[in-house]
Amino acid sequence: MFEFGEGAAGSYVSQATQQRVKRTAVVLTALLVAVFVTIPVYVMIAIAVQSPSSAFAGGSVQLFVDSLSFENFRVLLTETSTPRYFFNSIVVTASSTFLSTVIAVAAGYGLTRFDFTGKTLMARAVLFAYMFSPIVLAIPLYVIFYTLGLLNSYFALTLALTAISAPFTIWLMWQYFQTVPIALEESAWVRGASRTRTIWDVVLPVARPGYISAAIFSFAVSWNDFTMARVVMSQDEMYTITVGASLFLDRVSIGWGETMAASLLIAIPPFCIALFLQNYLLQGFNVGGLE
Amino acid sequence: MSAVTSVRHRVADMDERRFLLLATFVPVAGFFAVVWLAPILYALGMSLFDNPTGAASFVGVANYADILTSVGFPKYLWNSVVYAVSSTVLSLLVGLGLALVVNQQVRGGNALRTLMIFPYLLPTLVVIFMWKFILDPNLGVLNQYLVQWGVLESPIAFFSTLQWAMPAVVVASVWKFGSFAFFILLARLQAIDPNLYERARVEGASTWQSFRDITLPHLRGAILIILLVRGIWMFNKFDIIFLSTRGGPLEATTTLPIRVYQLAFSEVNFGGATALAGIMFFLLALVAVVYFRAFEPEKEVAN
Repeated sequence: MFEFGEGAAGSYVSQATQQRVKRTAVVLTALLVAVFVTIPVYVMIAIAVQSPSSAFAGGSVQLFVDSLSFENFRVLLTETSTPRYFFNSIVVTASSTFLSTVIAVAAGYGLTRFDFTGKTLMARAVLFAYMFSPIVLAIPLYVIFYTLGLLNSYFALTLALTAISAPFTIWLMWQYFQTVPIALEESAWVRGASRTRTIWDVVLPVARPGYISAAIFSFAVSWNDFTMARVVMSQDEMYTITVGASLFLDRVSIGWGETMAASLLIAIPPFCIALFLQNYLLQGFNVGGLE
Repeated sequence: MSAVTSVRHRVADMDERRFLLLATFVPVAGFFAVVWLAPILYALGMSLFDNPTGAASFVGVANYADILTSVGFPKYLWNSVVYAVSSTVLSLLVGLGLALVVNQQVRGGNALRTLMIFPYLLPTLVVIFMWKFILDPNLGVLNQYLVQWGVLESPIAFFSTLQWAMPAVVVASVWKFGSFAFFILLARLQAIDPNLYERARVEGASTWQSFRDITLPHLRGAILIILLVRGIWMFNKFDIIFLSTRGGPLEATTTLPIRVYQLAFSEVNFGGATALAGIMFFLLALVAVVYFRAFEPEKEVAN
């Protein structure tokens, strides 16, 4: 359809026609993508909220939900260690999000406001870490944690998760503080506020959108993580939900129904972020986004 | 303000400045030393030893030589390249197409944008569960409909068939990572001055011409960065492949990251695993040098 436009000044195809063709292409693409994105999510929900006997009645998959059932969730919560897995996930996600955000705010402020040689080197180090491969980092971390007897601890997994998320959150806060004018702080100093006080009362409130989006990205990294948890945690009671659930299908007693129910539960926090905090997320994408 | 209080003030200010300097740099420096520098140096060190976690003996670069000359290495490298290139290019195309659409202020564009956040935020595990279910040979929806409509005679086990495993993993990856390109490109598109299009239209430019001469030049930098950064991430991707196929069937989807994991945890050969990790480290460093030279991204923060 693009050939229409070549040499348009003398073209026989009017701009109105071009507009119409463009419009149709736009709507078609939008529909196609919407369907492509929605179908897997819909299938997950449809399987999760039906009892296995009605979802797979007659040997084929029933995608039109006619009877709601919480059977899958009941099995999941009473007959598996899912509650424990969720607890572990919440502990490490919360601590890693906190750690990553605090380091990022401190580093972002310091890197922006203090002059020192080697800023370029520092920026390159942060970006290099940002592009780094989690599995390449996981191998030596495993050996180090093993030597120190720290495998299967929240502490080790928190450090490992923060290692993946911090480079981006630092980068994000570093960029964010560039946009906060120093005049704000100077006027507080002139009025007699100490530097520390200025940070609490002036800088942090202004930086709020920045650190909320840093927190969202580090949350997403920790909640999504499979690689680090798989390497660092080897005892069943220390598994995070992603590692625990990844082993569900190997068991005879758990089928697709329970698996999809677990997926739905794991997906709830991301859904909430997408619905209520998307503007902070989009702001993070303006400086690069995270894998 | 009297001279005395002013001096005292200045002294206090100096101390506080030093305190703040410490408070902001010590955490980040310590953190980087502990979780980045130490492990990387440790791994590079380990890669020079045979059996580094047991009775270690120094072997120099023998581990590297073993890895590079091993039978499977060319295949793993090739798989990594195929996976990285196909998933990156397809995610870019999907993201670009959709960003152009949403930028047209089409009705429901905002809803579409919200929709695109889900794949990005959904954990890889959930994405793989969805696709494994959809592509399942017995219960899978896709097979069920394809057989029903007569496209296929019998269901295909996509994730465990030699020629279908890689495409299946790529599709799941594009589903998850297309939104990354979408959000970055959309931000760039929205920064383009709409007057440029208006002027082009007045001067009789076609839709295609204004796309070629206005839109593409503005997106060039972003597209190159996506190809580079997304490409290196996909090259190093572990979880999505491990969760869907574990590198199978018959090593059809075994990429370098999967191989590192196997070496370390299935074959307990940490010398080999760290040597392969070292090779990946140097490849990444090479890409990083290109990235820093070509884009000077550090200029955004250190001027």
